[in-house]
Amino acid sequence: MATEVMEVGDYMRDPRKHHFSPYMDNGGTTVAIAGDDFVMVASDLRLSRGFNIFSREQSKIFGLTPKTMLASTGCWADVLTLNKVLQARLTMYSHEHHDVMSTTAVAQLLSTMLYWRRFFPYYVSNILVGLDEEGKGVVYHYDPVGHMEKLTYSAAGASVSQIQPLLDNQIDALNMKNVTPPKMTKELAHQLIHDAFISAAERDINTGDGVIIHTITKEGTSEEKIKLRRD
Amino acid sequence: MFLTRSEYDRGVNTFSPEGRLFQVEYAIEAIKLGSTAIGIQTSEGVVLAVEKRITSPLMIPSTIEKIVEIDRHIGCAVSGLVADSRTLVDHARVECANHWFVYNEDMKVESVAQAVSNLAIRFGDSDDDGPAMSRPFGVAMLFAGLDKSGAQLYHMDPSGTFLEFGAKAIGSGSEGAQQSLQESYHKSMTLQEALKIALTVLKQVMEEKVSGSNVEVAAVTPEKGFHRYPQNEVEAIISNL
Repeated sequence: MATEVMEVGDYMRDPRKHHFSPYMDNGGTTVAIAGDDFVMVASDLRLSRGFNIFSREQSKIFGLTPKTMLASTGCWADVLTLNKVLQARLTMYSHEHHDVMSTTAVAQLLSTMLYWRRFFPYYVSNILVGLDEEGKGVVYHYDPVGHMEKLTYSAAGASVSQIQPLLDNQIDALNMKNVTPPKMTKELAHQLIHDAFISAAERDINTGDGVIIHTITKEGTSEEKIKLRRD
Repeated sequence: MFLTRSEYDRGVNTFSPEGRLFQVEYAIEAIKLGSTAIGIQTSEGVVLAVEKRITSPLMIPSTIEKIVEIDRHIGCAVSGLVADSRTLVDHARVECANHWFVYNEDMKVESVAQAVSNLAIRFGDSDDDGPAMSRPFGVAMLFAGLDKSGAQLYHMDPSGTFLEFGAKAIGSGSEGAQQSLQESYHKSMTLQEALKIALTVLKQVMEEKVSGSNVEVAAVTPEKGFHRYPQNEVEAIISNL
């Protein structure tokens, strides 16, 4: 009887490392500032991947309801999918409950949706803005797995580490002695957003090309575009 | 009267040639055997009052529970096969809790009625979770609650139909009670007036003499949410009728 030759099984070979990298950083920066009767949200217009620029006119802000907007940066594919699912949920809500979702309800829904993907998260930094039930401006900041914080201002995305300390200092008067925080007006919010993006574009290649600023008030919404450096 | 129906009243989802679902109609008949329950909506809140049938002096009346809390802002009164209502009430509570979890807001009364209706008409179905309820639920329900649009009262029957009412009576005495409610109901009613009318109407239609132990009274108000009236307060209202 012939000797049987055993084949070498896969498990007997040298170990090989398999890579799975489903995420991509497409840059982009968002800033939101709330006042007593308004909220302003802005994003830059650059969509990039490292040294490549995919678009110089891509806003990262999405209108959800007449009173609510979402600014999302991170992995652009995840941004688009998250927004598509969220839009579907808003439509389903309005059909089921015969009502437009309030900003607080959208805020909680987004947190729940993000946490649902706790172990394969959407790679997205979100800022949700809107007017609450009393018409007051509100800003909600999220981490990618749905931790939610209600704030009066926030920055997110590529240049968050440049812009957030600036806002902390200029709006909440942090790290200064004997200074009272200013009252937030549309003019001040606009000025801060403008300056923050100009400065960020100077230092960060993932932020640039332009800024779009949306303002929500009880009268409605308006938008404005500002140019940034394109290099 | 029922003899001609014999071919079509077996399958719960089989229409008769005249277009009727007999099992659903029989379920609606079952409500008329249940104890009377009344709901009255006012601008200050909603009142629920039900009759408790004390069938034996050895029975502990407080164990009869025909008014239940769905959520802090919604109460529910039932009439018919009370055991069937437990499934529906459980469903309503889960829906409310889930709505709060997902949206951080109180569920609308209409949406709760819709959610319960969706379960109530699933009889005869079966899906991956196994067979559903094999017959229609034999209960009618009154959902009393407060939401963005104010105080509201919804009625749902075994066919799953739900409608909003200013005042509604269900159960054995419902025909007479509904007539009385139509005569005494008006939109500018206070909660106290509504309580008094609810108990007056119950007194008219109940076979037993109305007392603090054979009626159950609850209300939903902006201040307290859902709350029951203790026996002594019910007795105080009855003594003033």
